[in-house]
Amino acid sequence: MSQWMTLLQKEIVEMWRNFKWIWVPITFILIGVQQPIITYYMPQILDLAGGLPEGAVINIPTPTAGEVLSQGLGQYTTLGVLIIVLSTMGIIAAERKSGVAAMILVKPVSYRSFVTAKWAGGLVLMWFSFLIGYLATWYYTGILFEWIPVENFFQSFFFYGLWLTVILTITLFFSASLLAPGIAGFISLAVVIVVSLISSTLSNLLEWSPALLAGYASEILLDKGIPDDTLPASLIAAGCIVILLSLSVIIFKKKELAS
Amino acid sequence: MSLIQIKGLKKSFQGTEVIKGLDFTLEKGRCIALLGPNGSGKTTTLRMLSGLMNPTNGKIIFTDAKKGEDIRELIGYLPQFPVFYEWMSGLEFLTYVGRLAGLTGKEAKERSLELLQLVGILEAKNRKVGKYSGGMKQRLGIAQALIHRPQLIMLDEPVSALDPIGRREVLDLLEGLKKETTILFSTHILNDAEEVCDEILFLHNGEFVESGTMTELRERHQQAKIDLYFRGKTDDYIPFFSSHVLTHSLRNEGNRISIFVKDIAAARQSFLMWISEQNLPLEKFEISSMTLEDVFMKVVGK
Repeated sequence: MSQWMTLLQKEIVEMWRNFKWIWVPITFILIGVQQPIITYYMPQILDLAGGLPEGAVINIPTPTAGEVLSQGLGQYTTLGVLIIVLSTMGIIAAERKSGVAAMILVKPVSYRSFVTAKWAGGLVLMWFSFLIGYLATWYYTGILFEWIPVENFFQSFFFYGLWLTVILTITLFFSASLLAPGIAGFISLAVVIVVSLISSTLSNLLEWSPALLAGYASEILLDKGIPDDTLPASLIAAGCIVILLSLSVIIFKKKELAS
Repeated sequence: MSLIQIKGLKKSFQGTEVIKGLDFTLEKGRCIALLGPNGSGKTTTLRMLSGLMNPTNGKIIFTDAKKGEDIRELIGYLPQFPVFYEWMSGLEFLTYVGRLAGLTGKEAKERSLELLQLVGILEAKNRKVGKYSGGMKQRLGIAQALIHRPQLIMLDEPVSALDPIGRREVLDLLEGLKKETTILFSTHILNDAEEVCDEILFLHNGEFVESGTMTELRERHQQAKIDLYFRGKTDDYIPFFSSHVLTHSLRNEGNRISIFVKDIAAARQSFLMWISEQNLPLEKFEISSMTLEDVFMKVVGK
């Protein structure tokens, strides 16, 4: 256990030294917060842009606070995912490629600890950044529109975060299986996009797909309560995480560190 | 006392057999050099012993290892090109691997400082490894191999990348370490092996072609040898020497001809006579014993 903590601690410190603790949360804040702000100022922005004939009346219905915040979540589905994949894709692949993984693993270090500590480190960063970013989005939605109940906020936060965890674990899996960080990132993105597309087009058949957690989290914000399929989808998400993580360990162990 | 026994060790890459069945025993407290030309399989052998690579076939048995014990606790390994977390300082890296190897925080730090002192980079302990020079990285690499007081340390080409001063210092360091642990190191530099090691294993094309202590090797390969040094090119004189009845074999390198002869007294007389008759520009005449290089060339078959 103390060895695992040492490994995790190293991940946390490394992310501090390479400023991930700063740029990832800030990016999450920017991605989320722009949604309520742009929506609020849209009439003025259109006005300033000009080009409309004299006397034209712009009539944009004011969206509800729930709609704004769920659109904010929608931003994380595209840009947020990209950030997670980019910041995770090298987590194992880069260390193996440089050879430093071999330096560490000739010491009596368990392969399972090595992989899971990296996963935990990525998770801490991701949940922290998502919390800060989403909280800021919630706050701006509150002051510019209306306040969303804290309860709804945290429910949607949790279920959406679970889907992001699945994405992070997919990226870790490819990072453990492939040597090149770039290729690991590319394949992870492709897998996430394909899974999301299939799940949303066939949402009647695949209502338990983890990718639909993103949609369910939005529905919570629109005051519809927690959709019935959220729980089974969460369980399947948890199952996917466990399986992908175990496979990452097995594949990483099997691959020879030196080539 | 034996430390490790290796039986029938083999390794293939994509069907090509790189290591073709090695058998040997490492004795405790010895310093053994793994010697061989580039591509002979030295690195692969060390990687298999360190557990970084799985042998295709064969067994590696640590005599002292208890059942189920992680053999990585017993060995320290320095790869040919050691890599570190560049954002860590030297002290941080050593403390980190020390803790991973099971030391407490305090022990790890004390041991790290002790080792930094031993390898002579204590004054750079707080500098980022990314700013270390090649020689400093090599020393840090040796320090990290020693951190958990392993029974065996394996060093892959520890001095090949160093300048003459760094090389000298690392060799002295190894000399000192011999008292504490068993050392197995690979090199293609014959002098280094001869200087530090008690025992030599010659690896060529994935097989051991010769092994033993320096003295044993000399005795086994003893052959009278005459070295002739000329001013200028020696190519023109080769036909005479190679066809001479007393010549066993010869090597021609630059301005030197090394001739292995059957009868040293007769050869000396005959060669010197011919040289003076022809009035050749001889600069030095030497009757020498076999060097490791000669043994190497002989066993490698060049």
